[in-house]
Amino acid sequence: MSSKTKTATIGSSSSKKFGMNSKMKSTLIGWSFVMIAVIMICTFYFYPMVQALILSFQSGTGTNLEFVGLDNYKRLLTDSTFLTAVKNTFIYLIVQVPVMIILALFLSVLLNDRTLKWKGLYRTAMFLPAVTSLVAYSVIFKYLFANDGLVNTMLLKFSLVPDAINWLADPFWAKVTIILAITWRWTGYNMIFYLSALQNVDQSIYEAAKMDGASAFQQFFKITIPMLKPIILFTSITSTIGTLQLFDEVMNITKGGPGNATTSISQYIYNLSFKYTPDFGYAATVSYFIVILIVIFSVIQFKVAGDRND
Amino acid sequence: MKKMMMLLMASVLFLAACSGSDSADGGGGSEQDSNKVTIWAWDPNFNIAALNMAKEMYEKENPDVEIEIVENAQADIVQKLNTGLSSGTSKGLPSIVLIEDYRAQSFLQAYPDAFHDMSDSFNVDDFAEYKIAPTSFDGKQYGLPFDSGVTGLYVRTDYLEEAGYTLEDLQGIDWNEYIEIGKKVKEATGKDMITLDPNDLGLIRLMIQTAGAWYMEEDGVTPALAGNEALKQAFEAYKGMMDADIVKPNSDWSQFVANFNSGDVASVPTGNWITPSVKAEASQSGKWAVAPIPKLSVEGAVNASNLGGSSWYVLNGDSSEAAADFLGKTFGSNADLYQQLVTEIGAIGTYKPASGGEAYEKADEFFGGQKIISDFAGWTEEIQGLNYGMHTYAIEDIMIVEMQNYLNGKSIDDVLNDAQAQAEAQLK
Amino acid sequence: MTKLKRIFMYIFLTAAAFISVFPILWMIISATNQSVDVTKGRLLPGTHFGENLTNLLQTIDLVPALMNSAKISISTTILSLLIASLAGYGFEIYKSKAKDVVFTILLLSMMIPFASLMVPLYRMFGSISQTMPAIGIDTLTSVVLPTVTTAFLIFFFRQSTKMFPKELVEAGRIDGLSEIGVFFRIYVPTMKTTYAAAAIITFMASWNNYLWPLVVLQSPEKMTIPLLISNLGSSYSPDYGVIMMAIVIATLPTAIVFFLMQKHFVAGMMGSVK
Repeated sequence: MSSKTKTATIGSSSSKKFGMNSKMKSTLIGWSFVMIAVIMICTFYFYPMVQALILSFQSGTGTNLEFVGLDNYKRLLTDSTFLTAVKNTFIYLIVQVPVMIILALFLSVLLNDRTLKWKGLYRTAMFLPAVTSLVAYSVIFKYLFANDGLVNTMLLKFSLVPDAINWLADPFWAKVTIILAITWRWTGYNMIFYLSALQNVDQSIYEAAKMDGASAFQQFFKITIPMLKPIILFTSITSTIGTLQLFDEVMNITKGGPGNATTSISQYIYNLSFKYTPDFGYAATVSYFIVILIVIFSVIQFKVAGDRND
Repeated sequence: MKKMMMLLMASVLFLAACSGSDSADGGGGSEQDSNKVTIWAWDPNFNIAALNMAKEMYEKENPDVEIEIVENAQADIVQKLNTGLSSGTSKGLPSIVLIEDYRAQSFLQAYPDAFHDMSDSFNVDDFAEYKIAPTSFDGKQYGLPFDSGVTGLYVRTDYLEEAGYTLEDLQGIDWNEYIEIGKKVKEATGKDMITLDPNDLGLIRLMIQTAGAWYMEEDGVTPALAGNEALKQAFEAYKGMMDADIVKPNSDWSQFVANFNSGDVASVPTGNWITPSVKAEASQSGKWAVAPIPKLSVEGAVNASNLGGSSWYVLNGDSSEAAADFLGKTFGSNADLYQQLVTEIGAIGTYKPASGGEAYEKADEFFGGQKIISDFAGWTEEIQGLNYGMHTYAIEDIMIVEMQNYLNGKSIDDVLNDAQAQAEAQLK
Repeated sequence: MTKLKRIFMYIFLTAAAFISVFPILWMIISATNQSVDVTKGRLLPGTHFGENLTNLLQTIDLVPALMNSAKISISTTILSLLIASLAGYGFEIYKSKAKDVVFTILLLSMMIPFASLMVPLYRMFGSISQTMPAIGIDTLTSVVLPTVTTAFLIFFFRQSTKMFPKELVEAGRIDGLSEIGVFFRIYVPTMKTTYAAAAIITFMASWNNYLWPLVVLQSPEKMTIPLLISNLGSSYSPDYGVIMMAIVIATLPTAIVFFLMQKHFVAGMMGSVK
């Protein structure tokens, strides 16, 4: 294997080169690679998804469901709790995802520096949050950000704030807490992807760039970002999906409060199905709204990242 | 390649072994066996402990019935029940389940065929009257009432004394008087009077029940928020506490408990099930007492209310007869069991024939020698009966938001009218 | 790089590392403290480690739950990696218009919130139980099956395959390897770090999975670790020292898997890719 320098130049066009095998056979082999996955996903995702779609045209409590046509979809538009949940989710999305991606990218580039000392230590430390379970870190954050919790104690001690910040009970600070929590938990996680991808980027490219007098910033934007594009696209889409489906953090840290200040769409779905008298029909409608949203976002992200011309 | 194949083989074998052991223990198919009763409940120190006592008593006389008690968190039980019942497969569901009274109507209405009619399994008149409305549906009795959520005002007598009050001054007061006392206490001791979680309106619920009012009309489905005098007064009292600066905020159960265990608040108005948590701080022994809960100054309001509390339900299935028999012979009629519950775990039932007796008359040194069980039992009889209806938690989420608006200056009438409009839109 | 820049870099990294580690450190410290001190946010290690551990072991069946979680997570991880990498490889190497369409459709499955799939999925396993109780409700297999194939992982392998030098495939064919041989002999060893990352992520997700095991598992002897922890907190008088101890123990396996797999990262980063 002596592929060191060619990595960057190979495009998908190479797959056209081996048309020696009969086309039929190659197609068949290709499909057999993906077959198990396709069957599994159809059975365990699409079949229930279709059932959920049918549900979204029904309404009623528990098992007393009846078809109501588009009523559920109309109800969405006037449902103030739902609209608040959408607004909150967008705030998380717009603030948290870019901050996290940039931070993760930045950290991974610093950690990939060959001359860095204690590299393993830093890397391990930053990965650790991703290892903790959701239950664990939610509990920890709840205590740290409590009214007389450690964070407030520290802030007051060093006179960084005049009064204790009401992290969990103030509508603004509660959102901040949620965003901090998600960022803490998932930045290292995304960094795993960047780091594992960065190894495939050939160091000699950087050395060549350095010889040409490129600054660190230039190297970052001209080499690192373009090389990592597929994986950046991947993480930004999965982070977007993760944020739009945000549930555990909100449920465990603030329960959506104070009021509805931190409620997410997924939490509202959960409430409709399991906290209130269950209306699975309407809950399914709300979840289809998320699906539509995510499809739109993914298309935008694919377009922006320009995956087509790789 | 070889390594990979080895790994593959190993994983296949491993999975086969896993599923093999699964089928070996029968996959928990309890519904085939009419003599096996599975019970779901939460809280090991309270409900589970009570179940274990009942099980022991019952199995002595009915050795052929196997009773399995499964502990799950309450939220988990609600979710599993909803998923299981709505899927229409009875497999995997228990024979008996504990359901909180606030949620009972919602389950009974949403899954009309799922619950076993218990009308013939016990004598309804033996139980506190206020427990009957939430546990029955369509004229049939489905739930067997269990613990009482009867409330009391837990107070620190030492702080009261510093502010110049005695326990006598707390008898028969309303919430406005409570706030006045709270101000004095804060002045004298620097301690807050109460600790509240802005996401939990339990206090509002217990306040309006002193006046026999609720979020819903008596039909249990029509929201009754706008023009609800009791609710209006409760909101005003809540804001009064905030404005008087006698509230220490908390954001979950652990902080709630910590706030009174650490001596930071002077009183805790809540259900009697808090007793073990209060007593957990042994160093405060002798400093606490329990006064009757303050009432709203609405006509007909009483100094007694309820917060929480739950009841037993039997699900239809092969073992429902055995399950109903178990409940009927234990929680449905066994006075000794209730005496034991009081002595051993401090659980106060709603079974009237048992309220009396030695266990109830015992003085509790932690509460300065007060006979708190006997006091709670007395208040239980005064609680106003209510149909909690279907949508307690859905409406409460609306009220939590509107409470924030109210605290931020919105007028009370607007608050209740807006809440009414939202509730009507959401619950049609 | 100038010296000043380097100093800033170290300060920044140290701060980031500290923020990352601190809450975990506090979690471990709390496991040695009693309940009251945990809620007060005590920073110093206490003397209640042994007591918390004994209480924990007395209140819950820790070992069987650990075993269940291990069985589920290990089989999920191995199967997931195999299925997803085959698919990711197939979609990228044998790229075609039709496959791209299928791929995009598969991605859709990632987007629907699990809360809304739960009821139909449960109903499905309910009917499977009638005929094949061995993989129906309340079996470990029923936990594994729906979670073993995720579009997420297929997507990940496909994106990573984009960076895989494709002339290696051709080289393998010239050497006379079969198509599947190319995959196992060339792709798998080359993509070691990708597999390591995928293994960590899948194992973690599976180990911490809560919603689906919660609804599909019923008997106490099938409980997984997250379910047990949830029960611990459900009491009206929970012991937070014990809960912290449980959380620490629950976190250990994912930490161990991470440290095991991390070696491969390190190896990769030192430039050992030939």
